[in-house]
Amino acid sequence: MITLRGLTKRFGDKTAVDGLTLEVAAGKVTGFLGPNGAGKSTTMRMIVGLDRPTAGEALVGGRRYLGLPRPLREVGALLDAGFVHPGRPARAHLLAMARSNGIPRTRVDEVLGIVGLESVAGKRVGSFSLGMRQRLGIAGALVGDPEVLMFDEPVNGLDPDGVLWVRRLMRGLAAEGRTVFVSSHLMSEMQLTADRLVVLGRGRVLADAPIADVIARGSGDSVRVRSPRAAELAARLAAVGATVRRTTDEELQVTGLSVDRIGLMAHEISVPVLELSAVTASLEEAYMNLTGASVEYGTGTAEARR
Amino acid sequence: MTTSVEPPGVRIGHLPGTPSGGGLPGALAAEWTKLWSLRSTWWGLFGAGLLMGLVSMIMAEATVANNKDPGPEGPPGVVSVGDIATGAVETVQFVVLAIALLMVTGEYATGSIRATLQWVPPRGRMLWSKAAVAVAVVFPTAVLLTLIGSVVAWFWLDEWGRVDAGDLVHDALTIGLYLSLMSVLVMGVGAMLRSTAATLTTAFIFVLVLPITLVNTGSELLKDVADGLPSSAGRHMMNGDGPYPTVVALAILAAWTAAAAWGGITVLRRRDA
Ligand SMILES: Nc1ncnc2c1ncn2[C@@H]1O[C@H](COP(=O)(O)OP(=O)(O)O)[C@@H](O)[C@H]1O
Ligand SMILES: [Mg+2]
Repeated sequence: MITLRGLTKRFGDKTAVDGLTLEVAAGKVTGFLGPNGAGKSTTMRMIVGLDRPTAGEALVGGRRYLGLPRPLREVGALLDAGFVHPGRPARAHLLAMARSNGIPRTRVDEVLGIVGLESVAGKRVGSFSLGMRQRLGIAGALVGDPEVLMFDEPVNGLDPDGVLWVRRLMRGLAAEGRTVFVSSHLMSEMQLTADRLVVLGRGRVLADAPIADVIARGSGDSVRVRSPRAAELAARLAAVGATVRRTTDEELQVTGLSVDRIGLMAHEISVPVLELSAVTASLEEAYMNLTGASVEYGTGTAEARR
Repeated sequence: MTTSVEPPGVRIGHLPGTPSGGGLPGALAAEWTKLWSLRSTWWGLFGAGLLMGLVSMIMAEATVANNKDPGPEGPPGVVSVGDIATGAVETVQFVVLAIALLMVTGEYATGSIRATLQWVPPRGRMLWSKAAVAVAVVFPTAVLLTLIGSVVAWFWLDEWGRVDAGDLVHDALTIGLYLSLMSVLVMGVGAMLRSTAATLTTAFIFVLVLPITLVNTGSELLKDVADGLPSSAGRHMMNGDGPYPTVVALAILAAWTAAAAWGGITVLRRRDA
């Protein structure tokens, strides 16, 4: 379990992480989602004690990372595949890692096998592709058989097979009761992996809920109705408990009722309907709605969408 | 999660037994493994040995030449082979110090310091384990370099060379102490500056440029300041000359080393990795 309490990080006058309070539970994959620059990596660096929080604290299993006697036995983290000396062979890197935390060397070959790097274990990391380095980073996260695992954008540089493999790995880790905290700036990646989503924007939590709720909250499935007597229809639909929003003079956005029910009810009160269509929110839309206002470096397309 | 057929989960295996080990011994073992798994370490040591032989040969040849055709300062006469080795260390030290320094700044250059700090989070333990491993390698290397320099000098000096077992042991020990302490010193500075080039430049200025510049001013005060520098203290310790006894020279050098290590650890604790 990871506990963040008022975790804050400022770089000069820029607040990268702004009073984050959060519990990341065991036995689940918790997705940490947010646009680039939202503060995901900074948060993860603070959890493992690389960055000093400006305020607040980060605890792993109730204790600060800096105070753990054998941190790799408790927390496995892949923060950046580049945190490796390119001149060192992969096996030597893992062996040094294992020795630092009293992990037997047989475990090194075991994790090399798990990530499929045993044939290149003697090669220097500098000759590795990004995908291979990513696998080495994952091997490092697994070497201590830790209860808590963190991955910062783990599928960057992986081929489709690798992406699928990482997804299975994370599901498997959570199924074993471990805490899995994984960041991404892509909603689609979280859709199949995460049980719970924490959405971050400009260093603040925008949403923290089971994945289905986040989608619903972001915009939710709704029905668009156009009618010259929209007000009359709105009153009738609201009377049966639907949430109705008048978007224009003639147009309503209705949540909580199906297209069929709305059509029948319009017929009952003899209100003409010019358009009746279901609007299905995609995950990406839900995400865009949540983070739209908090995109740090808005691209042209993101601007256009707003 | 879904009802579709999912491939079986990835098996990650388990570590049996209760966790043990780690701590300072673990940190030392990790640094030892890391140091020897880099080719640069082997090349550096090989280069230091080669350079030691070469510089000792040049210095011995200069002694021979000056004895045959004395300059204004007169002939040097018969010299101890250890003195040639001690003189050669002035040049070769930078190769040895670079090997130690790269244990710190090489990790900053590659980003791997962030891995190291994830494995060994206490900043003091991390830097001390690096320093201890550096000393464990530098001290025997220094003894070996003294031997290489002495043997080369002995061959080259011929009748102008003198070998004294007591002197040789003294030279090997003082060179070993000097290079060990200087290694830890540059590692401390490296932890503060986080750059190989910046640290080596600083070392160069403190070791070679500053002492000579201060002495050349002719000012007594500045000469005293120069004698307080770590490199000058080291030089006095190795040569057995200088205005203070060898023990004081050693103490001055050790004080500078302790200050640099403290500075390095303090910066490591305060700044983000
Ligand atoms: N070392 C640093 N110095 C200054 N600003 C930083 C530093 N690290 C991150 N930032 C800034 O903090 C913000 C959050 O960055 P980051 O945590 O990398 O976001 P994410 O991982 O969500 O993309 C960004 O605006 C970034 O520019
Ligand atoms: Mg990031």
